Amino acid sequence: MPFAGHPDYGHIGALVEDLLSSQNKSEKQQVVVIGQGNVALDCARIMAKGISHLVDTDITSSALEVLKNGVQSTVVLGRRGHVQGAFTIKEIRELTKLRKEGVNVSFLVRSDELDLGMTHASEEELEGPGGRPKSRIDKLLRQAAESFYDESTLDEKEISLRFLLNPIEFLPLDDDPSTLGKVVCERTKLEGEPGNQSAVGTGEFETFPAQMALVSIGYKGVALDGMQNEGLFDPQRGVVKHVGGKVAEAAGSKGGLYTAGWLKRGPSGIIGTNIMDAKDTVITILKDLAKQPIYKKGGDIDKFLKKRGVSVVTWSDYENIDAAETRIDRKRTEVQPREKFTTVNELLVAAGV
Amino acid sequence: MLRSILQIGYKRGLSALPNSFDLMGRNPAKVMSAVRWHGGPSISKDASTVNVVFIQPDGTEKKIHARVGENLLQTAHRHDLDLEGACEGVCACSTCHLILTPELYDDLPEPSEDEEDMLDMAFGLCDTSRLGCQINVTEEMEGAVFEMPKATRNFYVDGHVPKPH
Repeated sequence: MPFAGHPDYGHIGALVEDLLSSQNKSEKQQVVVIGQGNVALDCARIMAKGISHLVDTDITSSALEVLKNGVQSTVVLGRRGHVQGAFTIKEIRELTKLRKEGVNVSFLVRSDELDLGMTHASEEELEGPGGRPKSRIDKLLRQAAESFYDESTLDEKEISLRFLLNPIEFLPLDDDPSTLGKVVCERTKLEGEPGNQSAVGTGEFETFPAQMALVSIGYKGVALDGMQNEGLFDPQRGVVKHVGGKVAEAAGSKGGLYTAGWLKRGPSGIIGTNIMDAKDTVITILKDLAKQPIYKKGGDIDKFLKKRGVSVVTWSDYENIDAAETRIDRKRTEVQPREKFTTVNELLVAAGV
Repeated sequence: MLRSILQIGYKRGLSALPNSFDLMGRNPAKVMSAVRWHGGPSISKDASTVNVVFIQPDGTEKKIHARVGENLLQTAHRHDLDLEGACEGVCACSTCHLILTPELYDDLPEPSEDEEDMLDMAFGLCDTSRLGCQINVTEEMEGAVFEMPKATRNFYVDGHVPKPH
């Protein structure tokens, strides 16, 4: 994300600034976020907060300038219901607490949409394995749907979490076809077995005016060159084929190739899940080494990289970057953890490489 | 010394800014909560201790002395028990998950919402599960037994125990 200062996305700030100022005066400023994982919720929260609640964070100053007022209205929408949402409770809770923390952003959830998503299969999903986190989310969202705030001031902002809406069309502004004007969604209903419900269109539509749409619908693994041909990759699931983390051996291969993380299991799970997954792979590696200790020692990696003209940043070079980013004269406030460098050149200069 | 925000690139000025940051950037809601956010202070070796038992994932029991005042993640690490603490004890993961006896679980104050949110993601969650980093050792825990969940089916197949770092 640009507010994290990723060097590949330095150009996004100007684009976002442009879009956010493009609405007609009579309309409210609205951003649509498509997807219901933690990233989608995080985006909505950061975009809405406004400068006073972001200034002490490590958001880059250039991004802060673009988001200084906070987006007036953000709609986070997903095709299926809240029980199927990929978010975890912590991120939902952060949204429910915004007002309490003095941020003038309301978090809006509709109880009718929570009810719509409670098919018999969804109820079974709440009781099945993985039901506890989902039940707690259901309870928290119902509480959020029931609470409302009396104060409505002019600088009121909102984040709406909407369910059972499938985006089907982006339409431009009537008087400016070069820019986004609306996102058209079809109301869906859930059909199918617990754990496998899909969203089916109902023929009813809802249109959201929007100056900007963000798509946050997850990842899919891609095969490295040559992996597709060797039958080592499952393109449908986007994962490498493996046994206990050892990549399934192609004919004539010497083995010695392993996998861990999302490429192994699919794009789900957090640090804790990946730690256990990595441990499983390491156990397999250790077992293999015990059986076949004869792998030729690899070459000198530093010489190899130098030969290829690859510049390397070592840990102590990173410590130079860290010291430079945290220098007091670089920071907006004393509390801001760091002011990040946002281009590779600045990073390399700071590293002293 | 607070650096004025009107310096460093803010040529257009920022009128929405509050005048002081005397909360030192800390979220007031978090300062009030019962959750330990900083991994816990290191407890002196002169502190009084209680005898507790950790049941390791392979089923073997280890009897150790826990220092009153430290949290159970610190206890486990001091004795080289393989209790992962990926977030280093700040209630941001579920890897220090421990299973308590029903009696001890009921005796302790209820977990905070934040701890419950992290427990949602723990592998092999039970009714008496808690996060080790959120439980302080007390005198009343003399003789307590803590069960470490069996993380994966392959976990201790060769007996290797990675050292906490």
